[in-house]
Amino acid sequence: MSIPATIAVGYDGSPSAQAALTWAFALARSSDATVVVVHAVGLLARYGGEGISLELEQSVGQLAEDVDFDATHLRWMVSDGDACSVLLRAIDDPVRAELLVVGSRGQSAHAGLLLGSTSLQLAERAQVPLVIVPMERHLDEW
Amino acid sequence: MTLIVNGPVQDGEHHDPGHPERPERLIAALAGISDLHLDDAMTVLAPYAATRAQLALAHDTSYLDELGAFCYAGGGNVDEDTYATYDSWSIARYAAGAGLAVIDELERRGDGVGFVAARPPGHHALRDRGMGFCLLNNIAVSAAALVARGERVLIVDWDVHHGNGTQSIFWNEPNVLYVSTHQWPLFPGSGGSREIGGYQALGRTLNLPVPAGATGDVFLRALDEVVAPSVEAFDPTWVLVSAGFDAHRADPLADLALSSGDFAALATRVGAFAPRPGRLALFLEGGYDLGAVRASSAASLAALLELNYDAEPVTSGGPGAEAIARAASERGVALALALESEAKEHS
Repeated sequence: MSIPATIAVGYDGSPSAQAALTWAFALARSSDATVVVVHAVGLLARYGGEGISLELEQSVGQLAEDVDFDATHLRWMVSDGDACSVLLRAIDDPVRAELLVVGSRGQSAHAGLLLGSTSLQLAERAQVPLVIVPMERHLDEW
Repeated sequence: MTLIVNGPVQDGEHHDPGHPERPERLIAALAGISDLHLDDAMTVLAPYAATRAQLALAHDTSYLDELGAFCYAGGGNVDEDTYATYDSWSIARYAAGAGLAVIDELERRGDGVGFVAARPPGHHALRDRGMGFCLLNNIAVSAAALVARGERVLIVDWDVHHGNGTQSIFWNEPNVLYVSTHQWPLFPGSGGSREIGGYQALGRTLNLPVPAGATGDVFLRALDEVVAPSVEAFDPTWVLVSAGFDAHRADPLADLALSSGDFAALATRVGAFAPRPGRLALFLEGGYDLGAVRASSAASLAALLELNYDAEPVTSGGPGAEAIARAASERGVALALALESEAKEHS
């Protein structure tokens, strides 16, 4: 199996997504891969909402800095849709991700309704390798 | 012909200030009906709330319990797009029940056209969670009830967004043909032409994604050239329509270019798929420009009831014809590969 040249990471700013992104940065740093931060926006994004918030952008920048990841290897993909569909789209052109990385739990105002659903759906549908990163371990351990 | 419409629910509030999925949408749709001056040619039914057993035909009972408890705890944000209030559980059950009541009345009469004027909308709601402004999948609850009676149900979803919830609920159901026209790429991101149904229902999902700016002629061509042959082969006994009006050019959440006249033309085409009178019901889904919802509701129903209505002119010349041809071709390849794979598995 070859080392992936492009790694797509689902990112919504949650602690779980931060753990996933940190893991992906660590892997990419050792293999010179590109990391594509994939952010799904919902229906309201077209109704006065925003794509990438400054807070989200800054948190990604900070995580890259924390693990000494070269920001020139960092790209964003912001797209309409639920997190699973948008991540699956990253497998196709123009991103052509060879590895998907997600946290075990996404952001949710009511966790009981959404718990881990993205990672479970991706496990069923992804046609490239998928890594689900648990958030229980401390970030330094990556 | 008579219009059968559900009665409005007077009590409770499903409303989040500033949110586009708001009570005024329903008022606009009802105003559209009022514009037709139907008088005796309309029957308004008593409100009916779907029971847990009826909802369970389309939803996991664990989700129903969670949603009910969440609402009764005061509600909040279900996800970044979707809200629920204390009253939402009750109102959503009435919205799902409205479809059941309309269908029962159509069946009893053996005549008429149904319009389910209810909110919150439903077609994004999955078996196990709400999303995209939707809590319960109203059209899926009705379709599932019909399938349980041995019916074969065609669902045409002309909302601008793909009805991922409906597709998912009936993914492996051979007695439902789910057809969706929708803008792509757009929320929820699903609805590709290669999504053709599960192995127990190959070909029972038909997605026709179109690009931003697509006009009415593209939709009509898709119905005539791609959808009609599939419908003929499926031979439905009922036709249900996820009638969102957010493909209208005035809608703030999307970028298609349809007019109210186009919705009238779509309704006429889809109405012709019904096997006999009393077997067609439209369910209000999205649509966030109030004027467009009013005019498009009126135009669609006028077309089905064969009434004169001064709708906007039909539109043409937008992009999308190539996308439809490509989708049909990709679907054909995907279906052939899936059938071949299935045959190998069984040999």
